[in-house]
Amino acid sequence: MKFDWSVIADNWPLLLQGAGVTVMLTFATMALALPGGMVLTLMRMSRLAPVRAFATGFVEFFRTTPIILQVYWVFYVLPVLIDFRASAFATGLIALTLNVSAFNSETFRSGINSIRAGQRNAALALGMSEWQALRIVIIPQAIHRVLPALASTWVSLFKDTSLVSVIAVAELSYVGLQLRSQTYRVLEVLTAMAALYWLMGYPQAKLADWVHRKFKVSE
Amino acid sequence: MTSVPATPIVELVDVSKRYGAVQALNGVSLNVNRGEVLCLIGPSGSGKSTLLRTINALDSIDGGTVTFDGLDVHGPRTDIRKVRQRMGMVFQSFELFPHMTARANVSVGPHKILKLSLQEANDRADELLAKVGLADKADVHPAQLSGGQQQRVAIARALAMHPDMMLFDEPTSALDPETIGEVLSVMKQLADEGMTMVVVTHEMTFAARVAHRVAVFDKGRIIEIGSPHQVFEAPTVARTRDFLRHLGWDGSSTRSA
Repeated sequence: MKFDWSVIADNWPLLLQGAGVTVMLTFATMALALPGGMVLTLMRMSRLAPVRAFATGFVEFFRTTPIILQVYWVFYVLPVLIDFRASAFATGLIALTLNVSAFNSETFRSGINSIRAGQRNAALALGMSEWQALRIVIIPQAIHRVLPALASTWVSLFKDTSLVSVIAVAELSYVGLQLRSQTYRVLEVLTAMAALYWLMGYPQAKLADWVHRKFKVSE
Repeated sequence: MTSVPATPIVELVDVSKRYGAVQALNGVSLNVNRGEVLCLIGPSGSGKSTLLRTINALDSIDGGTVTFDGLDVHGPRTDIRKVRQRMGMVFQSFELFPHMTARANVSVGPHKILKLSLQEANDRADELLAKVGLADKADVHPAQLSGGQQQRVAIARALAMHPDMMLFDEPTSALDPETIGEVLSVMKQLADEGMTMVVVTHEMTFAARVAHRVAVFDKGRIIEIGSPHQVFEAPTVARTRDFLRHLGWDGSSTRSA
């Protein structure tokens, strides 16, 4: 078996483009899933039982089913259910956003619960509304506290974007797997994919480690 | 002792409160007069902190009424936020906002609640931090302050709302002995300025020197109330004598004060 790296050299722009889509998908998903997770968290704290039940059900569903199934479901079932069509990229983005929002919601909720009741009491005693107490006093502290967990979610998300290759989103995995089946250069293509994922993922993982150290709760 | 103007700002009538099987407050009636310093003393779990927290409705009540300046504090139509804005509260564990500087802790109320401009709110904060002796700590976060300094910031934070009265919930119980004095002297200064204060405390010397009246709690009731002189020197209730003896109170400190 001889390695022939020309397949990589010839298709370099295509792979880079795929890597670009992977990065874009990661950023776009997190950009939507941070507010999404916060909205779910606030819904779970609502005074209205149906709102709480919906949000809890949503979170539990997306946390406990395989993400690849969720991607397929949004691609095949959702269009039938609500007569909705979107590009493969948008579909993948929706599926990942739903999933990561659910995880972020759990993260935010644990962060908010970790702020002791005295902080809320102090805010209310000043004359703040419940919403002001959350917004001004509790959520800023909670976010600080959950940054390490969010960083871990980010690193997982970066890798999980590869799952939307199953619905033909042209991110790095899809591009690589297409290239493999067109050229039959399995070893070279998979090795190049691994190298590209590692090159992008390693700095992110190191950054996440740094966030873990920097924002470690020491109370 | 200065004379006490006898117009009540807070009136509690037959207030009761239970936590599960525990009767935390058992029909407490009490007035707090304008300009008065009222100290609540008694053993742990006797209900004094709970009573304090029913005055600004941080704790709900199961019976009776609490009135503040004519407003039914626990009434369904009362805007409790408006009531709380007129009562400052200081907590045993300070509860400063750790993500804000000392100045921001003090200015957040005037700025976000009273809607003063940030400039005005910060000016007010700097003024109050100077008043509690912490002008040089305005840009520091709470974690960099000693317990006594944190508590003084907390007092400034409460004062920043320009309250009509102040509630103190064991303000020195979490402090190192060497920083208790600085907090008590700020409180003494407030009392001298005529601030209405309700103080839950184990600092008997402070109560003896500063309070106009002292109320002794036991098992969710006020068992004795009167001037410090009467309560500390000539308690009429045996339980009060037991409690004071338990604290090692020999009755001499009021005279030396």
